[in-house]
Amino acid sequence: MACTRCAACKYLRRKCPSDCIFSPYFPANNPQRFASVHRIYGASNIGKMLQQLHVHLRAEAADTLHYEAQCRIQDPVYGCVRIITQLHQQIHNAQSQLAKTQAEIVFFTAQAHEELQEAASTFNTLLPQQSDFGQSFYGSSTPPFY
Amino acid sequence: MGGSSPCASCKLLRRRCTKDCIFAPYFPPDDPHKFAMVHKVFGASNVSKMLQELPIHQRGDAVSSLVYEANARMRDPVYGCVGAISFLQNEVSQLQMQLAVAQAEILCIQMQQEPALPTQMDPPPANEKSFLFSSSNLNNLHQYLSFASSSNVIQDPLKIESLWT
Repeated sequence: MACTRCAACKYLRRKCPSDCIFSPYFPANNPQRFASVHRIYGASNIGKMLQQLHVHLRAEAADTLHYEAQCRIQDPVYGCVRIITQLHQQIHNAQSQLAKTQAEIVFFTAQAHEELQEAASTFNTLLPQQSDFGQSFYGSSTPPFY
Repeated sequence: MGGSSPCASCKLLRRRCTKDCIFAPYFPPDDPHKFAMVHKVFGASNVSKMLQELPIHQRGDAVSSLVYEANARMRDPVYGCVGAISFLQNEVSQLQMQLAVAQAEILCIQMQQEPALPTQMDPPPANEKSFLFSSSNLNNLHQYLSFASSSNVIQDPLKIESLWT
């Protein structure tokens, strides 16, 4: 029974050993995946990077290497760094907007508080004297209105 | 006339640095670590090919981004730049949520103030927008803006390195 070579070994035109470091992450049915990482990093560098990692981390590493390689192929000048720059800009804009909105909240809350105090003091001046009113109903007890 | 010092790439690669060396403008000899990182992740041959495919005026930026990616990959061999992207996307989502909450709070405040109390000072507003952003309100808003900008602003835990010289 013929064993299928992994995409890496097919690309590199070599025999695919049983312990091939690439084969779990670059299956034969997706040749483009290895082609793109090879174009950016080179097979030797990919192999070294994967070998330096624990086996359970290699799949994630292969995925992220593929992602970055794709970004670099699509944008040869900035690669995935363009995305990072855009995200920093988005964060900056969102922070500015949030600060502005929070300032507005403080402002309108303070304004509402001032208006309430004004209304309360206006209301209090319209009330009859506490001593006159209180005396007739409550004597010398606590005023009925705060 | 003494010969100029070889660039960092040619020093590392132990070869003669020619006057049209593609690496020389971007990897000066005083910063060997920069090329070492890029070489370790991408390989000198790949970097050379990438630079050759670009017009000269874009090579500086390309080198800066390659150095950034290489640095990220060396600091995080599993996730590299993707780790940073994931973190930043999360930051953006959180900020957008906080913004939505704050904007909802503003709406509540506006609705509470909607039955406008008659005041002796301000004439009744022509429309809602002019009431909120009338010149007297904006003048008072300035002092609150400067207060808010110095506090309650989320600090980015990732130090934003300057990528471009």
